[in-house]
Amino acid sequence: MANAPVAIPQVYTAVPRAEQPSVASRILQSVLPPVLMGLVLVVVYIWARNSLEPHRQFLMPDAAGLWTQAFGLAEVRWELLDRGLTTITIAVVGMGVSIPIGMILGIVMFRFHVMEKAFFPYLVALQSIPILAIIPLIQSALGFGFMPKVLIVALFTFFAIPTTLLLGLKSTDRGIIDLFKLQGVNWLVILRKAGLPSAAPALFAGLRISAGLAVIGAIVSELFFLAGRGGLGQMLINAKMDFKYEQMYAALIASSALSIAVYLFFSWLGNRLFADWHESGGKSA
Amino acid sequence: MAIQLVRQPPDQAPAATTPDAGALGNALSFEDVYMQFPDGTHTLDGVSLALKPGEFVAVVGPSGCGKSTLLKIASGLVTHTGGTVHVDRNNLGYTFQDATLLPWRKVRENVELLMELRGFSPAERARIAQEQIDLVGLTGFENHYPKRLSGGMRMRASLARSLALNPSVFMFDEPFGALDEITRERLNDELISLYMRQGFTGLFITHSIPEAVYLSTKVVVMSKRPGRIVATFDVPFSYPRSPELRYAPQFSELCGDISVALRDAIEK
Repeated sequence: MANAPVAIPQVYTAVPRAEQPSVASRILQSVLPPVLMGLVLVVVYIWARNSLEPHRQFLMPDAAGLWTQAFGLAEVRWELLDRGLTTITIAVVGMGVSIPIGMILGIVMFRFHVMEKAFFPYLVALQSIPILAIIPLIQSALGFGFMPKVLIVALFTFFAIPTTLLLGLKSTDRGIIDLFKLQGVNWLVILRKAGLPSAAPALFAGLRISAGLAVIGAIVSELFFLAGRGGLGQMLINAKMDFKYEQMYAALIASSALSIAVYLFFSWLGNRLFADWHESGGKSA
Repeated sequence: MAIQLVRQPPDQAPAATTPDAGALGNALSFEDVYMQFPDGTHTLDGVSLALKPGEFVAVVGPSGCGKSTLLKIASGLVTHTGGTVHVDRNNLGYTFQDATLLPWRKVRENVELLMELRGFSPAERARIAQEQIDLVGLTGFENHYPKRLSGGMRMRASLARSLALNPSVFMFDEPFGALDEITRERLNDELISLYMRQGFTGLFITHSIPEAVYLSTKVVVMSKRPGRIVATFDVPFSYPRSPELRYAPQFSELCGDISVALRDAIEK
C-alpha cells in the first residue's frame, strides 16, 4: 500500500464542441481533393509533354489535338461507340460463360470435399498461367472470330468466381446450418436458402473483380486479332499503325470509361442488394 | 474443411408414429448417455436425466462440461456413443447461444423460416408469425433486418421463430448469456410467461445460478468434463415468479447451495 506512487492531479478544462461543418464546406471537402489532384496530374502531363523533343510530342497529344483529330470528328465518335459495344459484348458473353460454370464448380467443390481437393490446385494453376501468353495458341486453334475472344475473357474472369463462392459458402454460419438440419431438410434447400444468400456478398466481390477483368480481357484479346470486326482493342492497334495517336488516346479513354462504368455498375448493384443486411453494403445501421 | 450438408436427423420419422415405450411418460429422457468425439474427447460420462411433461429443468456446470452436447444429442445434431435417448424430434424447439437469425431476412421472414421449411402454407405462416411476433413483443419491428435490432430483440425474434412450431419440448443453449443483466432479467420474465402460456417442457443450459433457479422447477449440476450429473435441486417456488423473488432469503439460500455443489464439482 505504502509503495503506491503519489497521484499528482492535473487540470483538464472542457473544450466547447466544435460546430457542425456546413453542407457547402462538407461538399467542398469531398470534391476539392480529387479535383485538385486531377489538376496536378494535368500539370504533370503538360510538363512531361513539353519536356519531350518536338518530334516525339505526338506520343502525348494535347487537348486541341484530341478534339480536332478524335473526339470532335463524328466518324471517330461513331467508331468509338460501335467498337465500345463490340468490346462490351465480348466481355458480357465471356462472363456469361464463366459465371455459370464458375458457380457450378464452386458449389460442387463445396458439396464434395474431394472435388475441392481435386480442382483447387488446378484453379490456382490456371490463374498462374499468363493468359496473354496462350492467346496465340487459342488463335491458332480457334481462328479469329468471336468465340476465341469470348474464351479469352472467360479465362480471364473465371478464377475469382468459384473461389469467392466457395469461400462464401464455407463461411456460412454453422448455427444457421444446424438450424436447417434440425428441420430435416436436404442439402439443396440448405444451399438455396442458407448457403447461397450467405455467400452472395463474397461472390459479388468476386464478380466485381471479374467484371473489371472482363473488360480488360476483351480489349487485350483483340490486340492479337486484327482481322474481322473488332472492338476498342483493335482500334488501339489500328490507330498505332495509321499513326493516329489522338485516336489511340480516344480509344484508351473509352476503354477506361468502360471499365469504370462496369465497376460503378457493380458497386451500385451490390449496394442495392446487400445494403439492408450486410456490412459491406455501405450504409450502416 | 467442407461443411457436410446432408445429414438428416436420424430416427426422425418413427419417433412421431410409434409411441416410445422406454420413455415411461417422460417428455425427454437421457439414460446413461456417453459421448466420445472422434478426436477422443470424452465429453459425457453416463448422464441420466428425465424430464416429465411440463417440467422446466436448468442445467448448470463448468464450461466445457458437455452441457451443450446434451442438447445436440437430444436434437440429433451429434450422435451419442453410449446409452439411450428418448425424444420426439418432430416437436423439438431449440434456441442457440446466438440468435442465429438469417441476416438477409426481415424479422417476419425469419420467424416464418421454420414453418417454411416444414411446408406450412404462406397464409398460415403469416398468421402464426404475426401471433408470435406480438407475443414476444416485437410488434412494429416485423420489417426490420436483424442488424438493426438490439441483442435482446434478436433473441426475442429467435424465440418467436422456435415458438411458431409450438414445440412440446423446448431446449435452450445459454440463450441469454451474451445479453446485459437488465435485458436478461426481462427476458427471463418473458420466457416464464411463454412457458406458462404454451406449457412446453423446458431444458435450459446456463452459466448463471440465479437464472437457473429463477426459471426452473429443477436445477441439475454437472461435473467438469467428462460431464456427469452430480447434484439435483428441486426449486420450490410457484409460477408466475416475480422479480422480487430474486431477493427472497430462500432464493439466495438455494443459489448458495447450488453454488457450493458447483464449486465441489469443479474442484473434484
